Amino acid sequence: MTAIARIAIAGSGCVLPSGWGVERFWSAAREGRSAIMPLQSSLFHSERVAAFGHVHDEDHQRSRKDVAQNLQRYCPPAVIWGVSSVRQALAEAGLEPGNDGLRYGLYCCQGGYTHPSLTSYGELLHECQTPTGADMRRLAQKVLQERALDPFLVLKSLSNGLLGIVSLALKLECECNAYMQGVAGNLAALREACAALQSGRIDAAIVVGAGSELDPLALAALAEAGVIGTDGSQSLRGFDLQGRGGIAGEGAAALILRRADDLPEGPQTCLSGLFAHSRVDSLNLPDKQVDLLIGSASGDPHKDADLARTLARTGAAHITSSTPLTGILSGAPSLVDLIIARQTLHAQSIAPVIGLEQPVNPHLPFVMGEPRDAVLHDCLVINRDDNGFSACYQLDFHAAD
Amino acid sequence: MSETRIVITGLGAVTGFGFEWQTLWEKMLGAEHCVRPWQPDDVPDGAFAVRYAAPVDMSLLPEKLQGHPAWTTPLEKRSRFGWVAATQAVADSGLALEQLRGAAVLCASGAPQHMLADMLLTEAPDGSAPGWQHLMPRCADVSAEGSLCQSNDRLARVIADDLGCEGPVINISSACAGASQAIGNAFQMIRRGEVKVALAGGADSVLNLDTMAALYLLGAASGEQRWGADLCRPFDRDRSGLIAGEGGGFVVLESLEHALARGATPYAEVLGFGSSLDAYKVTAPQPQGRGAALAMQAALDDAGLRAQQIDLINAHGTSTPLNDVAETLAIKQVFAEHKHYRALAVSANKSQFGHLIAAAGAPECIVTALACLNDLVTPTVNLHDADEQCDLDYCAGEAVSRRVDYALSNSFGFGGLNTSLALGKYREHGQ
Repeated sequence: MTAIARIAIAGSGCVLPSGWGVERFWSAAREGRSAIMPLQSSLFHSERVAAFGHVHDEDHQRSRKDVAQNLQRYCPPAVIWGVSSVRQALAEAGLEPGNDGLRYGLYCCQGGYTHPSLTSYGELLHECQTPTGADMRRLAQKVLQERALDPFLVLKSLSNGLLGIVSLALKLECECNAYMQGVAGNLAALREACAALQSGRIDAAIVVGAGSELDPLALAALAEAGVIGTDGSQSLRGFDLQGRGGIAGEGAAALILRRADDLPEGPQTCLSGLFAHSRVDSLNLPDKQVDLLIGSASGDPHKDADLARTLARTGAAHITSSTPLTGILSGAPSLVDLIIARQTLHAQSIAPVIGLEQPVNPHLPFVMGEPRDAVLHDCLVINRDDNGFSACYQLDFHAAD
Repeated sequence: MSETRIVITGLGAVTGFGFEWQTLWEKMLGAEHCVRPWQPDDVPDGAFAVRYAAPVDMSLLPEKLQGHPAWTTPLEKRSRFGWVAATQAVADSGLALEQLRGAAVLCASGAPQHMLADMLLTEAPDGSAPGWQHLMPRCADVSAEGSLCQSNDRLARVIADDLGCEGPVINISSACAGASQAIGNAFQMIRRGEVKVALAGGADSVLNLDTMAALYLLGAASGEQRWGADLCRPFDRDRSGLIAGEGGGFVVLESLEHALARGATPYAEVLGFGSSLDAYKVTAPQPQGRGAALAMQAALDDAGLRAQQIDLINAHGTSTPLNDVAETLAIKQVFAEHKHYRALAVSANKSQFGHLIAAAGAPECIVTALACLNDLVTPTVNLHDADEQCDLDYCAGEAVSRRVDYALSNSFGFGGLNTSLALGKYREHGQ
């Protein structure tokens, strides 16, 4: 458990299935519009895994404008979305690295690794296939002599590619870290960022996560692990007894963190606690009741009922979730929830759990149907990770006096 | 500056030299290296351009480790090496399992091991996009020891589960600086009071066709053959690229108070950690070593050390033309006052056990800690004709006996990420 003092979210940005930018994300959440759509892939087709939270091509193209042409060859789409998210967040925070005199820290979390190289290698191997397996001499010849393998494919899937490209795009020479671990990676990145701010080593922290699992075998592995459903469902029904499993999504999100005391007067959402445990039911939760709780619904009624038992311990007045909007994100799950928490606290209005009709626990105060206005002072974000590492974030809202 | 002192109390290393850190240290002091002829599995002789590496030799596996569950659990090779190294580090520390309950586990696990046969599974027989009905049955054929069946944080998870660690379990992904970053982050977590004990390090194996082909095509891996197995030549005029190794390394870090309370004897003290970014190029270091200098200076500042106090730099020293010059220039920048760079010993461990990529920083941290403990500096082997731009004391050829009170251990990664760990000789009454 880590208690932290007055670390404000000074800016946020995202490229998600809901669109480019926080405004589009927040509008979709408020209006209860899910961005999950029929799965589209040139790599495979499926009636069993039929839906996905795609980032739309127009949003990808818009994101590309934020990355110099010479860097784009190193970037899988998710890294481009990550850079674009960081630029949005910096703009909102009114920061310009290199020209604002601040000391920065950069903390990245990448969701996936294998997508581009696997696909390309698969294609290459297919060309070298024989009835008894791959012709390895031919493969080695193609790779090395005919240069059939683009070495940048491996760079595109570098685990710290996001870190490298963001630093190049923004000319950041600052302290840094990179993680690849979903919820736990987001937590680790946020914890290091908060610690660096509190120690006084840096003045502004950029925390960014990005990922996509739009790859046939990656999705098959998620299906095998029970993370996504395989009955052709087109919607993720979070915390709902009618849920038929999870649906994967893709995208990126970024936050700018500052010491609250360094910011001018005005409404602020501040991180005040980070908690982690390998078991969600063992998360060390704050003693006091909170006004708002945001939980990462899975779409699996059994898992969601399990999570709901932990949510019930918080005594929250209102509960919502963003996963039915975006799908289950691999690179920025916590960052997206922190963005929706901040939007909610600033608007004093809670977006509904999209599609929720029959809650797994009818006694819990899920927000259903329409957005709900309420007086909100604080919020908990609870993220469960199917790989066995869960996180809880405590946020406080400080309205302008 | 925090009052909490953090010490290293357990070591574990799996490298081409063997499965124990004692063997690593002994062979390194003897100026040996473990580079030898290598080729990717299944590729016919001579078909692949990279001919040398420093693989782990399973014939060296000691009897006492033959029953380790790592060898029978479905895991990637890198995770097996890492698990064994972590187990050894814990045993070496003398910590009982109940003392590990609140411990953090921080790992860098590097590149996933793609199984070529697995990749063929994504293709339909006619080369078209396959359907789900085609894919799902084939999933059963995916190797349980390949990357597709293993999440990237599998090593961290398996170590934590095996040892019953319920503290933070973190997977660092910062390329060749990964293990150094894991150790640095563990140090910071203990210093902040978040945990009392942490197991930190990394494991990697890139000795497969796809990763080695990429490293070769990028100009990083050497395809040179004229030097035979003496190919890894950091700072030498004839260096031609990195020689990949494989393995893993872990250290047990704990607060000094915790270590002394249980009667442990520290190997060395971790004093500081620094990281930086080049913001120059994805595949090449900043030519003047600016990012590397920033990381070293950050480590010194974090440790509260003056540059003149440093006796040894365990260099990143990859044997690539670009790195070794840039790192030399960086050292000259940081240690410019009174030309202290002339008084420093600089050692490149990769000349002896190759480049362990994401894991590299862990055995190199171990060697640095042992240098502080024993006042012995391991050599840079195969350095016979130094590059004119590489004009420091690299301890060429043989180990050196000299006082090592304070040392830095550098690790730099693709993407322009730099880290430096500051270590010191353990002193009962502080630095």
